Amino acid sequence: MAEPLIQVDQLRTYLRSGDKTVKAVDDVSFTIQRGETYCLVGESGSGKSITALSIMRLLPKDITSHPSGAITFQKNAEPGGAIELLETDQEDMRTIRGSRIAMIFQEPMNSLNPVYTIGEQIMEALQIHWPDMSDEQARQKTIAALADVQIPNPEQRVDEYPHRLSGGQRQRVMIAMAMACEPDLLIADEPTTALDVTVQAEILRLMQELQQRKSMSILFITHDFGVVAQIGHKLGVMKHGEIVEQGAVQDVLSNPQHDYTKQLLAALPENLKQNNRAAMLAAFRVKQKANKEEADLINIENLKVYFPIKKGVFRHTVDNVKAVDDVSLSIRQGQILALVGESGCGKTTLGRALLRLEEPTSGVFSYAGNVLSSLSQKQILPYRRDLQFIFQDPMSSLNPRLNIATTLIEPMAVHGIGKNKDERIALAQDVMQQVQLDPEYIWRYPHEFSGGQRQRIGIARSLVLNPKFIVCDEVTSALDVSVQAEILDILLKLRADRELTLLFITHNISVVEYISDEIAVMYKGKIVERGDTDQVTSSPQHEYTQKLLSAVPRLHH
Amino acid sequence: MTELTTKTNSGYAKSVLKNTFSQISARIGFYWIAAVALLAIFAPFIANSHPYLMKTTDGISSPLLQHLIPADVIIIVIFITVIVLYFLKKNLAFNVLALLTVLVVSTILSFALIKPPQLVVYEKYREMERNNQLEWVVNAPIPYSAKDYLRDYGETGMEQPLADDKRNHWFGTEQSGADVLSRMIHACRIALGIGFVATGIAMLIGVILGGLMGYFSGIVDMLGMRLVEIFEAIPTLFLLLTFVAFFGSSLYLMMVIIGLTTWPGYARFVRAEYLKLRRMDYVQSAIACGLPLRSILFRHMLPNGIAPVLVAASFGVASAILFEATLSFLGLGLVDNPSWGQMLNQAVQSASFYWWMAFFPGGAIFFTVFAYNLMGESLRDAIDPYLKKKT
Repeated sequence: MAEPLIQVDQLRTYLRSGDKTVKAVDDVSFTIQRGETYCLVGESGSGKSITALSIMRLLPKDITSHPSGAITFQKNAEPGGAIELLETDQEDMRTIRGSRIAMIFQEPMNSLNPVYTIGEQIMEALQIHWPDMSDEQARQKTIAALADVQIPNPEQRVDEYPHRLSGGQRQRVMIAMAMACEPDLLIADEPTTALDVTVQAEILRLMQELQQRKSMSILFITHDFGVVAQIGHKLGVMKHGEIVEQGAVQDVLSNPQHDYTKQLLAALPENLKQNNRAAMLAAFRVKQKANKEEADLINIENLKVYFPIKKGVFRHTVDNVKAVDDVSLSIRQGQILALVGESGCGKTTLGRALLRLEEPTSGVFSYAGNVLSSLSQKQILPYRRDLQFIFQDPMSSLNPRLNIATTLIEPMAVHGIGKNKDERIALAQDVMQQVQLDPEYIWRYPHEFSGGQRQRIGIARSLVLNPKFIVCDEVTSALDVSVQAEILDILLKLRADRELTLLFITHNISVVEYISDEIAVMYKGKIVERGDTDQVTSSPQHEYTQKLLSAVPRLHH
Repeated sequence: MTELTTKTNSGYAKSVLKNTFSQISARIGFYWIAAVALLAIFAPFIANSHPYLMKTTDGISSPLLQHLIPADVIIIVIFITVIVLYFLKKNLAFNVLALLTVLVVSTILSFALIKPPQLVVYEKYREMERNNQLEWVVNAPIPYSAKDYLRDYGETGMEQPLADDKRNHWFGTEQSGADVLSRMIHACRIALGIGFVATGIAMLIGVILGGLMGYFSGIVDMLGMRLVEIFEAIPTLFLLLTFVAFFGSSLYLMMVIIGLTTWPGYARFVRAEYLKLRRMDYVQSAIACGLPLRSILFRHMLPNGIAPVLVAASFGVASAILFEATLSFLGLGLVDNPSWGQMLNQAVQSASFYWWMAFFPGGAIFFTVFAYNLMGESLRDAIDPYLKKKT
């Protein structure tokens, strides 16, 4: 076997924060051959990104130390051309970064400079690495690079500013920029996490294609095993700064050795399905059958939510952003309806409009026969207790200045639940137990909790009012997969115990398949397909649904 | 600053305070303000012509206590209450309620019960001492009141510091012959009072109007912002000059006018914060829970949006002090009552330059304004998320 392109040997990266030292990377060793894709998988905080930044030497010097380790990079093809990255000075690193090792980041919206055209930004990178390249040559090479990443009309697009491009296109530009200098190693740090699943599929295909053409190595950092299964050759599973298991992707995925890997794989929604869901669902379905004749709990007719675009001195409306465009939908009592779609398709707006957090432009919707859409904000207050919302981001959904007890009991007091403060606190502690949190935690403040715990508190807050209907807006998308599994199970259990009706908004198809009874696919403000979950996912009828489902990276092909 | 400590005892407020006061500049600023505040609270006990205690043929008496005016008593009662509350460590609502009760009760009681003599003769005790009518006497550390013009010593105007060996005037005397140090100590009250009251008025108006503008946006915001722009167009100093010319100089008038003209800055800050906070999930969830507007605005949003206002307020206090000093310097401030700016004015009124009249009050103004700015800057750094990330 040839010399590996890069060999990371017993790397330790310690970060100093105040007087504490965090062992961000602790004894990590792996090698990447030429033309190979090595995937680093792990939950947030496991040290994946720090490993990548250690290789790039991009960590701030004053707080970083490497007590041990070596990163040997094969700079030249012939033997003896290897250099030791940790001992290279910053001046030499600059010649390696970009030209030999390039990196793309997670957030395409922030990684391009908005005041320069995309062409200028790529040309600058080119001319820094090849100083004698003329402007005309650089421009031609830039256009070629943009064509490589399948940006349409690269001759015109090269002079456009980043804001004119969509998220997927920006990520392509980032890839074009990284690839323009023809690096040997591309480090991709969650490059598709912020993108829609259909766009993700295109980007992944593109990266694979470019890799084969240029025989480049990729260090691919992700938390998504589906993506790994699709793109990776080798896989390393990280936990608390250590690689607990590594090997060929298929071996690890089909036959995991380490407990942690097994645990992670078992927590994937598509694997969860086979375990406890079936039993729970069966029990529930029996109960539901009996109630089948009951009326729909939520009924939406021709709902439209438009956001006007205003222009000119008199702010007259020139056009509307049709976030929700003529949606009719009904949700039966006790059902979990999943609302699926890409970002910007209007699914969150629809959920918010149901709770009148967004004002509907036209259309009618009702809850248990009561028309809510025409009530004033004051008239709707009594219904607020029956209809609740769980937010996507557990970090911002809790008031940082109030302790959990206050957050939970204030709505109870407003709606007259519980006679006095002590009774309300007892009720709140009950609910805390239902979401599997220690009841004593209610005296703490939000910053003392992890993301998963906060999301449970978010669920607890919506439960204290004994609602009948809850809109769950991407409740698991900010969470690690094992935490996601716990939250989904809590929701399923609560649904069964309390006969809740859920509108489950998500972009994650495998979560939908796990949790929902019915599915509604939303595309550009309209519902394009609706039906039983198993039926829709196994034989999608609408063109968009087919595209969406085929784009989902699956563990088992 | 005390406002922030009592406002919320949550982790965030604590960490902000810790960050603020971990900076040496903030500590220096705080110590200076604390010293000025202590001088202001205990001014009558530090500089007073009336002795603490004296023994005459009629027996032992305390002229100082007899001459305390209701305002002195109220200030000291409030100070003691704050100290007691600080050590009791009760919650915010209890503190505010207790403080308000004490304020109201002490105000009523002191105005009803305390009747200081109408005619104050500062020279009396010195005369008595000279005539050997006193068996013994305990004087204040600076035995001159702010308005004691030392008539019994004849012409004492504009004496250099420590010019006379019979009388110890550490900072000299001013135009009418009163002790400068004593007047400066008594002027602390005005300097702090005008800063806090004027800024308090401005903050109250600014927070309420700015909060409503930010929360409701739309037409309320549009009208509110026009109002803000109208008030921003008013030049505070010229308005003050006009009012003083028409209605005479009154400290309370000044406080109100400064408060009424400086609120737009706070309103803008609060509006911007509320526009941002309104879209935050926890505010949305408060709305979704059907909480009343009052609770959403002041319980869920205000504590999260108040930090930049407090930063602006610490600069605002400094500028209110400067306004008063400017007015007094121009000769339009308080006439008889002591004020730093007024003393500064006397330094340049005649052909000769009285350096002690410029140096000491000028230094006091400079250091107080500087101290507030130091604290404001440290507070700003402490709440700045970008700076925090860097460290």
